[in-house]
Amino acid sequence: MIEDYTPFLPLSPAALHILLSLAGEDRHGYGIMQEVARQSEGQYKLGPGTLYDNLQKLMAQGLVEASPKPPAHDDPRRRYFRLTPFGRGVLSAEVARLEGVVREAKVHLRAPRRAT
Amino acid sequence: MRTLYRCLLWLHPPVFRREYAGEMLWIFDQAAASQGAGALLFDGLGSLARQWLLRSGWWRIALALGLAVLQVALGGFATLIFGHRHIVEPAQNPSVVNIAEFARGGSIAHQPLTIGIVMYLAVFVTGGLTIMVIGLSFWMKSFVARRRHAALRVR
Repeated sequence: MIEDYTPFLPLSPAALHILLSLAGEDRHGYGIMQEVARQSEGQYKLGPGTLYDNLQKLMAQGLVEASPKPPAHDDPRRRYFRLTPFGRGVLSAEVARLEGVVREAKVHLRAPRRAT
Repeated sequence: MRTLYRCLLWLHPPVFRREYAGEMLWIFDQAAASQGAGALLFDGLGSLARQWLLRSGWWRIALALGLAVLQVALGGFATLIFGHRHIVEPAQNPSVVNIAEFARGGSIAHQPLTIGIVMYLAVFVTGGLTIMVIGLSFWMKSFVARRRHAALRVR
């Protein structure tokens, strides 16, 4: 069965970074913020308002879900989030789309400029 | 700053507040030093605006009100353009007779403005607004469901 992810694309930068940060492991809100800052080398900083607003939307769309139980050593008040299989598919489709954009950009940037 | 951020969280829609306000405040305590309390406060303001305008459904009411105002404005312009003579020369027997005629489907353009007609208009505008809000709610629900269904369909 091939799913059509096009209605969800393109993802907003915040949604892309959140899904990307959850691709490796389940994380709580602050963990997602730290992972986003790490992945973007500090260039993209997510505030808690933007984070939870996007998480709420992504959960409503079925791309992210609350993880059933947090690790035993962690604060039980913290809620963990994880990527659903559907969310992983959307993220893969977005990465493939971005690869196409980068490929196209490289071709055009390499080509010599025409004289006007 | 913490108290201000707490107030900002309290202003969010109740559903969002119940779900995330505790964690957001905890993150504020953790990240205020590294990200700056001002930046987090600004981010909270953005979240507040998005939650009320986009996620809570209040935009439907705003849209319905906007459409109602547009409808009234267009009606006013039409009256000014087409019903000018009738307004200048009002009917001789206003009140009950005119309201009855209006209720039978007669034109409002040649009626003088009475309390009865204003009440009729108020009822129609309120009814129109209600229908618009209900209609938009159903339309949005089916729109979201269609999008979700389309994403899951087999090619």
